[in-house]
Amino acid sequence: MANEKVDVVIVGAGASGSVFASVMAKAGKKVVVLEAGPDWQLGDLISSDFWGRRVKPAGSPFLLEGKNPYGYVYQAGWGVGGAALHYFANFPRLMPSDFKVKSTYGKGLDWPIDYADIAPFWDRVADDVGVSGDARAEEIWRPPGKPYPMPPMKTFPGGDAWKRAFTALGLRLTPAAVGMNSTEYKGRPACIYDGWCHVGCPIGALANPLVTYLGEAKKAGAEVRAHATVTRVLTSADGKKATGVEYYDAKKEKQAQEARVVVLAAWSAQNPRIMLNSATDKHANGLANASGLLGKYLTAHFASGTSAMFDEDIQPYMGTIGAQYFSYDFYDKNTHKDKGAFGSTFMVAGSAQRYSALGGVANARLDLFGAELAAFMKRAARGYTRLNAFAEEIPMIENRIELASDKDEFGTPLGKITHSYNEEAVALFNANFDKGLEIAKATGAKEVWSNKGPMPTIHLMGGTIMGKSANDSVTNSYGQAHEIGNLWVAGPGIFPTSGAPNPTYTIFALSLRGAENLAQNWGTVAG
Amino acid sequence: MDEIQRRAFMKGAAIGTLAFAVNGVEVMLTPRQAHAQNVPLRTLSAEHAATLDAVGETLVPSAKAAGITNFVDQQLSIPAEEALLEARIMNVRPPYANFYRAALSAIDSASQAKYGGRDFAQLTASEQHDFVDLMRQNKLDNWKGPGAPFVYFLLRTDAVDVVYGTMDGYAQLGVPYQAHIAPTKSW
Repeated sequence: MANEKVDVVIVGAGASGSVFASVMAKAGKKVVVLEAGPDWQLGDLISSDFWGRRVKPAGSPFLLEGKNPYGYVYQAGWGVGGAALHYFANFPRLMPSDFKVKSTYGKGLDWPIDYADIAPFWDRVADDVGVSGDARAEEIWRPPGKPYPMPPMKTFPGGDAWKRAFTALGLRLTPAAVGMNSTEYKGRPACIYDGWCHVGCPIGALANPLVTYLGEAKKAGAEVRAHATVTRVLTSADGKKATGVEYYDAKKEKQAQEARVVVLAAWSAQNPRIMLNSATDKHANGLANASGLLGKYLTAHFASGTSAMFDEDIQPYMGTIGAQYFSYDFYDKNTHKDKGAFGSTFMVAGSAQRYSALGGVANARLDLFGAELAAFMKRAARGYTRLNAFAEEIPMIENRIELASDKDEFGTPLGKITHSYNEEAVALFNANFDKGLEIAKATGAKEVWSNKGPMPTIHLMGGTIMGKSANDSVTNSYGQAHEIGNLWVAGPGIFPTSGAPNPTYTIFALSLRGAENLAQNWGTVAG
Repeated sequence: MDEIQRRAFMKGAAIGTLAFAVNGVEVMLTPRQAHAQNVPLRTLSAEHAATLDAVGETLVPSAKAAGITNFVDQQLSIPAEEALLEARIMNVRPPYANFYRAALSAIDSASQAKYGGRDFAQLTASEQHDFVDLMRQNKLDNWKGPGAPFVYFLLRTDAVDVVYGTMDGYAQLGVPYQAHIAPTKSW
């Protein structure tokens, strides 16, 4: 079934799709957003680790291979709002060193743009969605920018313990920049510090898409269709233009949505899957894949967690699930060169604790069960706090997504993600445990330990990397496909390198930059 | 709005308990209530249920009474996209019943091999503890199924869920639950 042709069809209603929808709808364009999952409302966001699982992926599975299979479900989205409906809303920026990794260190890739190209957009996103923090304090590590619109969030004893330890060791920890309201902001209430951010904030104190860009897009006339699973981008006979997308609706009936511009804003694995599945005789290896790099250079973050247990009540149940404080003191990519490691480290301290589920206190001692676990839970309930060292994986072409032979219910090949860390990443993972323990000992806690386990995979980036030309990348720095001018890709898939910080702030900023470029050049871009 | 007003305002939208079939009628119960009322199982066999009860109790004391088996069984009976199991988060490929059946069978097979033909539920508490400790470390002989440490992890998470992940569980730990939108009943 064909639908009325629109100006822009956007695939995915998460962070990046929401920004494109907002900018284009406000520019007067007719916008339709297609989202594979349900149409979540704020009232669906129940404060429960059980019910929070509903907003995680439940569509066609991705097949996982490699030495460190990419476990995607915890951090990916399912439904309107995408992963940003349940994200931690830590809002750190990349650093200038992240943009020229190849030319500076001879490893990984370069971005075709610099820190200064994105900086104004980080500042604007902060004003758009509301960020709390202390920008001036962060400027010990980064170039100056605008102050954040709200002061830092409250801190609690579990976070302050890490602050004291850092200070005692001559290290620096500043208030975390977060996409949350420390005060009322744009009619949205201030945070109440109850620690349920990761299952969705129903009061809108956390800047999820429903209360920010997507809400604005809908007000400006954008239509959001939930339970719409996109399978292919449709292209013209000569292969030079995208003409729309094919999707299956809630009744599992095939539909076509014609559009003058197609924006793929599903997540980093789904975008290349759709593009690979859209192959034609003019694009035999998938759309925009002259470089052969479509689906390649996937990267992830990994985190080395360190625990500290106090006898006293340090209120771990209070706060936000992201962080109270953060530090770039170990961001130099050669910090742990003597241990064979390479890559940046970004530390966050003092996140609020929940007690069950993947990130819960019970998993801080995976070796315990039975009566010992019960005793641990009693002590940890009021005495536990954690430091997390997030680290950078350097992109490798072998880490990739491709189509599998198995198919989903619509006949689309499943995606297969192959992911392994190299020796330098493993060395960095281990070095950060050592550093974490050193810091933890300075907290004065009764007991400290490393949360060592299998090396995790956090935040999927790459797969549709940006670059200078169709020879070295899939898109340009705005997300526009080199080979098909009216096909755009949004989200962390266009990151050539990952840095170490949480990516969503940069996703918002890059999407704002890309969407405004699309709006400004509409006459020459639209098909 | 102040904190208390805001919480009270949001509480109206709550949903929570699960639909269990009792005498052919669907009723909303917590897993603890379902266990207490001996609600018939929909998916798991009696043998697998006994194993899950016993493993759950070994992993987290009071998991059996908290309804681990009713919880898992009910969740296996609904579409995967509605499931609230940690298996979903850990990238287990649906249908999740396949994983649970394979995992519980592997536990009993390994138990029989190690303890003279006895299923896990028939072991002494001390034997159950030792068995689970070996399972955790992937040191069980004759293990045939999904990876033993992964089975340990997922079943432990289910047990933690029903004991500590609820409003009752937080109360038991002595920490405030502080819901924006409270699950009805206790989770």
